[in-house]
Amino acid sequence: MRVKKKYLIEWLLIILSGILIYFLVDNDAFLYKDPVAQIVSVTNSKATKTEDTYKNKDMTTEQTLKVKVLNGHRKGEVLTAKNTFSKSGGYDQRFYRGQKVFIKFEKSDGKLMAMINNYKRDVYLIMLCWAVVVLLFLVTQIRGFTSLISVILNFIIFLLCVQLDVKWNINNFFWIFATVAVIFLALSLVLVIGFNWQCLVTFSSIFIGTTLAMIIGVVAMQVTNDKGVHYEALDFATQSPKQLFLAATVIGLLGAVMDAATDIVSTLFEMKRTQPGISRKQLFISGQNVGKSIMGPLVNVLLLIFFAETVTMAVLFFRTGNSIAYTFEWTMSLGIIQSLISGIGITLVIPSASLLSSLVLGSDNK
Amino acid sequence: MSTITLLTIILFILMWIVGGKRGLASFSSVALNFILLFLTVIFISIGIPALWTTIFAGIAILAVTIYMGNSDEKTTNIAFEATLISLAIVVVVMVPFIKLVGIQGFSPEQSEEIEAFNLLIGVNFESIVISTMILSTLGAIAEAAIAIASGLDEIIEQQPDITLPALYTSGRNIGLQIMGMTFNTLFFGMFGGDLALFILLYKLDATFGYYLNSKIFVAESMEVLFSSISIILVIWITTYMMGKKVRRT
Repeated sequence: MRVKKKYLIEWLLIILSGILIYFLVDNDAFLYKDPVAQIVSVTNSKATKTEDTYKNKDMTTEQTLKVKVLNGHRKGEVLTAKNTFSKSGGYDQRFYRGQKVFIKFEKSDGKLMAMINNYKRDVYLIMLCWAVVVLLFLVTQIRGFTSLISVILNFIIFLLCVQLDVKWNINNFFWIFATVAVIFLALSLVLVIGFNWQCLVTFSSIFIGTTLAMIIGVVAMQVTNDKGVHYEALDFATQSPKQLFLAATVIGLLGAVMDAATDIVSTLFEMKRTQPGISRKQLFISGQNVGKSIMGPLVNVLLLIFFAETVTMAVLFFRTGNSIAYTFEWTMSLGIIQSLISGIGITLVIPSASLLSSLVLGSDNK
Repeated sequence: MSTITLLTIILFILMWIVGGKRGLASFSSVALNFILLFLTVIFISIGIPALWTTIFAGIAILAVTIYMGNSDEKTTNIAFEATLISLAIVVVVMVPFIKLVGIQGFSPEQSEEIEAFNLLIGVNFESIVISTMILSTLGAIAEAAIAIASGLDEIIEQQPDITLPALYTSGRNIGLQIMGMTFNTLFFGMFGGDLALFILLYKLDATFGYYLNSKIFVAESMEVLFSSISIILVIWITTYMMGKKVRRT
């Protein structure tokens, strides 16, 4: 009975916290400097059909919106705003009554109008974060939170380094991010595994795997003279694209290699815990076995993550009459190189993790 | 020879040396998945509904990822079932949620890249973003399921008479670490992938509120958060199913 009561309280608290957070974030307009407004009425005009040179048919509709300002010195005023949305929605959005938006004030013909600047999405983002935290709590109780803390800490360090990178503005900024990668690695391992032998073994094998893969990648680029690589296709590049690309690669690579190494090392340490007398050879073989079975899936994860990023852009390229080869080269080649280098890192870390753990853990008497 | 060709050859050789036959199978699975993904993009481009294309391709990709390169049928069956269940749960939650958030298409930060294009191309960008989310979630859950199932399987093999509570304890031990590390893979993937974006946003003096509302940042974060949710689910479900299997035999 007492156990049931405990669960009841737990669930009540979870639901209450959800409602409370939703309510707070939904009404946080006063925290923003930019004016926030809520849409109170929507009038749609008739849709206009369009067709481009590639015979792509679409429709656009104009909306006249009445919005009520929620913050700032014009709080409470109701203004008119215009919006155009297309059926496909590539760069625009259809608005509905009750939604909240960021606006700018604009005078046209002496009349004050509102111009919609951005849609207010913070509620959804924060509710999703809340859902992750709740789920993590339900499944792991408190223990799972160390991984959450490590992610948050890493994110803070990452932002600090982005700041440093912009401030210093040095030529070889790749090394800033390579150093960050090592800090990430050490921090996450200590937080998730704890500071012990397992941590040291994992660290060393990951370090070896990542460095080797990076060297192989850079040498391969040198040897082939970057043939077929368009660094200028890198999105949002404001610094030397090649270095930016390498920095991005080393961080992504580290994540993947870390995953492979931890899977192997943690399984081997768990085996040692359940069977203290296990031999070196057996450990090495088991490590290789775990490695072999996760190698394929891991490389596939990377492939999927990178591919997902390119879908929207690739569809745009295809629909506007570009060939498969051209689309591939300009939207996918950079991502593929990153995935390949990560794949190489994953493959290299399997023997190094198995070997190091079996050396540390195995008993000689077998 | 282009850089991609050379790196592909190096990866092929390394996977062969390290994994032997299973390495070759794993490499083929990657190649096959690449073809499947490429076809998915082409199908979406010619106007076949993106959501259904992705769900069909997704199940095929999961099957390829889990079954190719893994000879042990018991483990792989469980991993496959567990991924399908958690994928179904996540998709059901994800679809209405994404419709609310409005993260389809391109963001203002990308305006320079897309200014040469006419964006009225008659595809449904909303279902494309859902496809994107499903695809990036798929890989993470398949990997987590395989990792935990094969980890538990090694333990069951070494100690066939392990008790159910002991197996669950081991499952929790391995599961927690796998979870932590898979989170890291995802987040590092995001940090790495969006490094240039972060630098740009910093240079633009983006405020905290900007991050919370900007289309591209919210979209990228949601991808990682949905993947995290599905990883937690899949580890939970896989451990439970492995336990049931042990009790049955």
